Amino acid sequence: MTDITSFDAAEDRATTNSIPRNPPQRALHLHRELGRVWANDKGFWGQITAVSHTTLGLRFMATAFVFFAIGGILSMLIRAQLATHQGAFLDTEIYNQIFTMHGSIMMFLFAIPMLEGLAIWLLPKMLGTRDMAFPRLTSLGYWCYLFGGLIMLTALLFGVAPRDGWFMYTPLASAVHSPGINADVWLLGVTFVEISAIAAAVEITVTILRQRAPGMKLTEMPLFAWYMLGTSAMMLVGFPPLIAGSVLLELERAFGWPFFDPTRGGDPLLWQHLFWLFGHPEVYIIFLPAAGVMSMIIPVMCRTKILGYGAIVAAVLGLVFLSFGLWVHHMFTVGIPHMALAFFSAASVLVAVPTAVQVFAWIGTMWKGQPQLHLPMYHILGFFLTFVMGGLTGVMLAIVPFNWQAHDTAFVTAHLHYVLIGGFVFPMMAAVTYWMPLITGRRRIKGLGETAFWVIVVGFHGTFFIMHLTGLMGMPRRIDIYPDNPEWVWLNLTSSIFSFVLTIGFAMFALDLLLQIFLGKRESRDPWEAPTLDWAMPLPSPNYNYASLPTLRDLDKPARDVILPLARGEGALPGAPRGRREFLVTRAINAEPDHVAILPGNTALPLVLSASIGVFVLLMLASLYLLAAFALLPVAALIWVWVRAMAPSGDLRPIEIAPGTSLPVHHHARQSLAQSGLNALLVADGTLFASLIFGLAFLSVVTQGPAAPPAGAHTMASLVALGVIGVVMMIAAWIATGVGRGTAQLGVVLNIVALVVLTWLALTQMDDPTVHARDALRAAVAGYVALHVIVAAGMAAFVADQYRRGEITAQIHGGYPGWRKWQSFTTATTLIAIAILLAQVFA
Amino acid sequence: MRGASAFIAFALLAGCDTGLSTLAPAGPVAADIAWLWWVMLAGATLITVLMVVLLVVAFGRPKDTGSRVWTHGMGLWFSLTVLTALLAAGLWVGERIQPRDDDAVVVRAHAFQWGWEFSHEAADGTAVESNDLLHIPVGVPVDVLITSEDVIHSFWVPRLAGKMDAIPGRTNRTRIQADEAGEYDGLCAEFCGLNHAGMRFSVQAHANWPPDLNEAEQ
Amino acid sequence: MRWLFLTLAGPTLWAVMFSIVYALHGVVCAGVAGPEGLGLGARWMLIVVWVLGLAAFVPLYRALPHGGELTHYLPRLGVWIGLAATAFTLFPVVFVTSC
Repeated sequence: MTDITSFDAAEDRATTNSIPRNPPQRALHLHRELGRVWANDKGFWGQITAVSHTTLGLRFMATAFVFFAIGGILSMLIRAQLATHQGAFLDTEIYNQIFTMHGSIMMFLFAIPMLEGLAIWLLPKMLGTRDMAFPRLTSLGYWCYLFGGLIMLTALLFGVAPRDGWFMYTPLASAVHSPGINADVWLLGVTFVEISAIAAAVEITVTILRQRAPGMKLTEMPLFAWYMLGTSAMMLVGFPPLIAGSVLLELERAFGWPFFDPTRGGDPLLWQHLFWLFGHPEVYIIFLPAAGVMSMIIPVMCRTKILGYGAIVAAVLGLVFLSFGLWVHHMFTVGIPHMALAFFSAASVLVAVPTAVQVFAWIGTMWKGQPQLHLPMYHILGFFLTFVMGGLTGVMLAIVPFNWQAHDTAFVTAHLHYVLIGGFVFPMMAAVTYWMPLITGRRRIKGLGETAFWVIVVGFHGTFFIMHLTGLMGMPRRIDIYPDNPEWVWLNLTSSIFSFVLTIGFAMFALDLLLQIFLGKRESRDPWEAPTLDWAMPLPSPNYNYASLPTLRDLDKPARDVILPLARGEGALPGAPRGRREFLVTRAINAEPDHVAILPGNTALPLVLSASIGVFVLLMLASLYLLAAFALLPVAALIWVWVRAMAPSGDLRPIEIAPGTSLPVHHHARQSLAQSGLNALLVADGTLFASLIFGLAFLSVVTQGPAAPPAGAHTMASLVALGVIGVVMMIAAWIATGVGRGTAQLGVVLNIVALVVLTWLALTQMDDPTVHARDALRAAVAGYVALHVIVAAGMAAFVADQYRRGEITAQIHGGYPGWRKWQSFTTATTLIAIAILLAQVFA
Repeated sequence: MRGASAFIAFALLAGCDTGLSTLAPAGPVAADIAWLWWVMLAGATLITVLMVVLLVVAFGRPKDTGSRVWTHGMGLWFSLTVLTALLAAGLWVGERIQPRDDDAVVVRAHAFQWGWEFSHEAADGTAVESNDLLHIPVGVPVDVLITSEDVIHSFWVPRLAGKMDAIPGRTNRTRIQADEAGEYDGLCAEFCGLNHAGMRFSVQAHANWPPDLNEAEQ
Repeated sequence: MRWLFLTLAGPTLWAVMFSIVYALHGVVCAGVAGPEGLGLGARWMLIVVWVLGLAAFVPLYRALPHGGELTHYLPRLGVWIGLAATAFTLFPVVFVTSC
């Protein structure tokens, strides 16, 4: 049996322990040198072009907080409406828009961006690096988030916001029952925002795996990084079903492809499966980062180390997987057989075990140490009280018979607010109060924060505790009046009154932050005496984080002991002597130093690209589909420009990161960050494909609708065409393993041939996708393949262009490995699609 | 906790008045589920109190208890034991209240935006239709076959049983049973558009089955 | 990276088993069974698949390296997680009835 640690050791005999110290320099000199290279541009323009993770992480969080306030105002309107049983306050149409937008905003425009922002802002500091793996992608994600959110808000202002509930059940959300653009706003707006979720997931994964300080083994990194690794993996697998579902529903609404229409072979339950396949993991996507924050702050507040590191890592591992086996517990009442319900009930119950392991590990940590009641600790106690109760009602809801009673009632509303405010908002408030000195460099003004906490606790439990009872007494979700049920009035009125207390509490919390930003006194370095690297820097943190990068010898010391040596440039890769942004890239498991990555600087390209995607979205919303198709051309052109901007240029010699230790730059690296990123993206892409195949299988096995009409064109010609596509794609994948300008040009030709044959097949042979869901899904799969073939052709063309320019040499591979990987993926999905089609035809 | 029990007492009283309370069951299916709820509430209360005590004690002197007590003892075995027992109870109740092949009376519920069409078999075997009022016999299990005309609705009579969705393109079956003759309130539980809140109905349980509706109406 | 894949092996095996048994149950209920529930043959098929899935964890466990550090025992913890999840989430095949 081989020693497991030898996998990496065998790959390279690297130099973790032997990275020598650099000679100390003047800290101020280094600060200025790095500042010139890493600072944002001046003024407003600087905000447009910024790609720094510190700027963007904070901006993500600030924007998310604004959306939180907007969502909160909407919830006030809901509570005002429900305070009395006649509810003459809002009309039903507006009320439906408001509760739909409250849920959608809190989920998609507050919670997810908030955790992305925290991770983007914090991870590089905690792991000992200078930025996220793909700074321009961070910026692109932010602009997509902002524009998508603004589209949804604008719709609300004009009274055409989504109104079918935040999970958009069809047929209610179909074109027949929901005419107008309301539902399209949700489908297109949320999908636009999800670009930022996928982007964040890709770069968080890569940053954690490849940018840890040299010597920070995966099994020794701060727990927050483990939690975020789990979160980002879940986002890569969890969001594609939602994206697939949204695209399919939009295709149904726009073009009449009946994926979910039971009269034409579709199935409304397919939407529910796809939505909750995302929707339940989503809950853990939100909870895991919060739990990561708990695991970081509790030990510091208790002056001890975390208890049960290994058990917590295993619990995260278990949660990540189990959370994908629970989705049906949102569908216990749709008429699924009891045995299938039992599988999901058991999984929903079981997921409480890893959660319990963490909660008890945190309490054990508090027992072991000496808890101190600083403000973050208040919010941690708020978390415990609230989240434990939410978890317990969650277990209740996992029990099938009880779920049949409680489902879709105010009991569920109460439960989900206990879980989300308890399991996310309280930890986030702990996080903000804990890291505020690092953000602002200022000290908090005592008193207001504590008061805000108590007001929030009282307001929250006053609002939601009795809502459990309201639900058990039969009040369903999403009703606006209840004239026949005077017994619900005092319950609802109590909830409404306390909800205003809760809002006042949040306002006080926000005021406390503003006071700290503008009036706080200077805070001294490392105010919490923390053990982690995020505090090993001056306050507020500079844009470049570290004047020199921490190495193994800096990891087991308290933060305050390494601030000075790092600021004086004694760590690796000091300063910015080459006038460009650089950081170290390490290997995934043992963090052996691998190469030095050169990063792009400030640029407005992400804004332009996301704006051009926004144009596409708006044209789709306006039902100008032909124009929308043309709007994809500038998107493609901008992506080309984007990739060209990183072409190898300038000084590509190896860089001496410390005396006697040189590393190659990333153009010479065997496994660059870009390739790791592509791997992560392909995981998401593969899940998207799998979601479509799941849909195909679901419709052909489970759905009881009308049988598909006999397929019109199973001619010899279409079989031959399928064969041609398969063979051409196999040849393309095979030649992509070779090298040379000729192969890249051949790759372009082969992909275009496949695309032409596929287009011919679609136009002349395929059955009309509007007649039956089976044919609609086949058309969707064909569209998926076509899109990938187009991208493959584009990548081959890019590589051919790089050869023409002489950028690809024996040592520099340029875009070649990326194209090869994409081509293999495209060929694999094409062949699977063909195999499934043939199996359906001949079965 | 005292506040909670006051709420619950009030709920019980209030529930009897109106007939939408799951805590005032009027049939064996709803009673089984209500029993499950009270057991779970007791367990959840105990666990919440335990957590609060553990947190309060944490603020005393540092205590060296070893990590396995927490992660393995409490986190793994304690939670797994409680959860296994609960899951078994839940599945057992679930099995008990399933519709099964036992010659239960069958009635139909057809949902639309925004109302209900019900039907049952008269003595001569013809279907008798009624709007927003479902007739069932008392004291025997009744299987409701649930369908939908347009969007997804959900059939729910809280005092008799849990809910079951009405999904276009499918026929769902759920079992309800009333112990006493009388009228029970029902509603649509799945959001279904503009008049979702008004989509109420009643269930009339009759001692004589099939009922003579002309007489009943007078 | 191989270490990461080994760590994911146990839970992944659970995910695969869960999907297979759920899908088989769906196929059986959609095609074979009526309202009277699963046929006896179909139930035995599900049970056999479940037991085979549990058995598959044994060779996986033995293939993993041993040792005291977290790096060494995390993959084996993953197998325990997968095994426990497979046993717990799929035991309804034995006694829960009906389609």
